[in-house]
Amino acid sequence: MTVTQTGPALADVQAITEQVWSSFLGDEEPLLQRFDAPSAFPAEQAWSAAVSVHGGWTGSITVELSVAVAQALTHLMLATDDEPIEDADIADAVGELVNMVGGNVKSLMPGPSALTLPVVAAGRAAHATDLTEVARFDAVWGGEPVRVSVHAPRA
Amino acid sequence: MSKILVADDSKVMRQIVVRTLRQAGYAGHDIIEAENGRDCLDKTIAEAPDLILSDWNMPEMNGIDCLAALRASGNQTPFGFVTSEGSDDMRARAASTGALFLIAKPFTAETFEEHLRGLL
Repeated sequence: MTVTQTGPALADVQAITEQVWSSFLGDEEPLLQRFDAPSAFPAEQAWSAAVSVHGGWTGSITVELSVAVAQALTHLMLATDDEPIEDADIADAVGELVNMVGGNVKSLMPGPSALTLPVVAAGRAAHATDLTEVARFDAVWGGEPVRVSVHAPRA
Repeated sequence: MSKILVADDSKVMRQIVVRTLRQAGYAGHDIIEAENGRDCLDKTIAEAPDLILSDWNMPEMNGIDCLAALRASGNQTPFGFVTSEGSDDMRARAASTGALFLIAKPFTAETFEEHLRGLL
């Protein structure tokens, strides 16, 4: 795998995301890379979650999902079908998703470092101005948007 | 029938671990759950499980501190991590503190079978 000083390569972020996705959500509905995504996450209603890494490498990993994706992945992770799900379940599932992606990104970067617990919000992600985007993987799942981005301090 | 303690602060992940245990052939065992390292420590003492599968990053007390506290008290319950972090550094820390293995998330039932074989 390729690693730069500032952050992981897009190909690595994509590979990690696809691996997490297929392990827990199956391959029935594939996660397809999207090349024409606008800079603002393209969903009216979204869930987002982030973890930070501090140490040998410092940065943050963020997952953004449309509400439909967040609900569907929560159902799949909990192995429930049509039962109603609580916001707490969605927050738990989305948080665990970013935890897995973030933990694997951390493993690629120089260490030792520490990973924070996930912070989850109903809404799009906002990023601090002292951070710059170093990798962004945009995808669609069942026609709905998914984004994983990595931010690091400005050089 | 053996008793397996699954510690993770995520209810979703505990369910996935329990489901994966079933898929790996451990359906007949008694499975109990803990929400963090402190809860894991308390339940290990109270319930005397035969195996602990624990997350690393958890509120209250993390998994490595729980393992260290167990070993410091003389408790030798077999302990394995199931965590999103699989770096060499984390694996070395896990092993030196007394963990038998570290399963990195995402995982498959085959990974569980491989690491749990012969333990129960």
